[in-house]
Amino acid sequence: MKWVRKFHKWASIVVGIQFLVWLVSGIYFNLMDTTKAFGRTYKAHINVESRLDRERLVDPSTVLLKYQPSVSLELIKILGYPFYQLTHEKALYSHFKNIYTLVDAYTGKQFLIDKLVAAKIAELSYNGPGKISKVIMLESFIPDYPKQQNPAWQIYFDDEIDTSVYVEANSGRIIGHSDEHKRFADIFFMLHFMDYGNNGSFNNIQNVFFAIAALWLALSGFIWSIHLGLKGKYNIRR
Amino acid sequence: MTIKRKLKQYTNRKKALKASRKIHKWLMLFIGIQFVIWSVTGAYMVFFDIDYIHGDSLVVNHQDKINPHDIQYSLSTLFSEYPNAENIRLATFLQQTVYRFVVNTENVPVQFLMDARSGELISPIPESKAIEAAYYYSTLGMVKSVVLITDNPPFELSPRALPAWRINFDNFGAPSIYISKSTGELVGKRHTFWRLFDWMFRFHIMDYGDAEDVGNWLLFVVAFFAILGCLLGLVMIWLLVVKPFKNKAVSNKNKPRGVF
Repeated sequence: MKWVRKFHKWASIVVGIQFLVWLVSGIYFNLMDTTKAFGRTYKAHINVESRLDRERLVDPSTVLLKYQPSVSLELIKILGYPFYQLTHEKALYSHFKNIYTLVDAYTGKQFLIDKLVAAKIAELSYNGPGKISKVIMLESFIPDYPKQQNPAWQIYFDDEIDTSVYVEANSGRIIGHSDEHKRFADIFFMLHFMDYGNNGSFNNIQNVFFAIAALWLALSGFIWSIHLGLKGKYNIRR
Repeated sequence: MTIKRKLKQYTNRKKALKASRKIHKWLMLFIGIQFVIWSVTGAYMVFFDIDYIHGDSLVVNHQDKINPHDIQYSLSTLFSEYPNAENIRLATFLQQTVYRFVVNTENVPVQFLMDARSGELISPIPESKAIEAAYYYSTLGMVKSVVLITDNPPFELSPRALPAWRINFDNFGAPSIYISKSTGELVGKRHTFWRLFDWMFRFHIMDYGDAEDVGNWLLFVVAFFAILGCLLGLVMIWLLVVKPFKNKAVSNKNKPRGVF
């Protein structure tokens, strides 16, 4: 038992404060408003009614022959206008590195999501009081969405919670919204996952180390409690 | 400081230590087991790389390219035959160029898979074709069993992916591959490590019902007392390790003995 107590003491010295951080951030997740925590305060559902003029569509095989080889061709709509989305390299998930070409489905010309188009897409997905104040291109890393691996437009809105909308530059897909509420909640996720490098992951070395210490702490405490119980130390009259 | 004040301070510390120890001990009688659960499940989730958990290594991400000359059944023919076709895609299925599209009949979306050469429907995918596809999408050895799931999907399969073939492999971690019966696409992949992860997560957030809900009251109550227990533990560290009893004015006899 002496060793169990020693383990408990030393494990608690190592992981005690982190354990408190885990518990406090955990109780925050328990209480948080998920709409706000995930940046969806001013997220609107996009619904653009538009009619597809099938007569005008360029033949898909013509499009496929014109561009580099494709894994798939998909007839999609962006802002109610039809496009063929060619996927040249398909990753397992949309947030991994994918290579696309967008082609105007009526003319067969390549289409690029520029600043103005990205701003328009963002505006339609937004139902807050703000106006667009700035649009910038993020080539490699989105601090608000660290797991995303494709370049994106960041569209700033001048509302009271600093909303930003992220639009994937090569597909026009809305990655998500972010605002003060999400950034605040993300601090707790960072603390809970010990993800101080903002890698969007909890599989990091510091977390592994403290998880081992936490295991020692909990298991030694558990054994200690059983021992106390067996020795009759859990006695209300004492 | 006078000896008297020092003694008083010492007694206060001793009282604080005794109370902390007692409450910590009693709290842990009730919630200690959850600390074990949190630590074990948390460690599991942290130790295994999330991409491994998600079964990314179970599947082969083929990059088969469409041969444009294969598309002999044109899009306009498709529209004349299926006037309500939506979400139209051209891709490959087992290296064959195919159309995939959705037709909404009475608000129920039905998906189709069609040979782009002949315009013949490939869907619904028969069992033999599903097995062939499963072998193509993965390198998991021999198929052990095949199940068709049309309703009440297991927890690990999204209801949107129905109907689907579940192909179980005889391999490490009992991997399963889900193939959509209507599109032939890979709609799911699971192995024991992911299934375990889901259970670990549920136990971690104390979701002992059937919804994956982190906002449950049980978690709140236990976490609240857990914070109290943790704080008392930290008080003990403070009194015994950070600022231990070093007071020479107090005789050795009165010093707390042993570790806490």
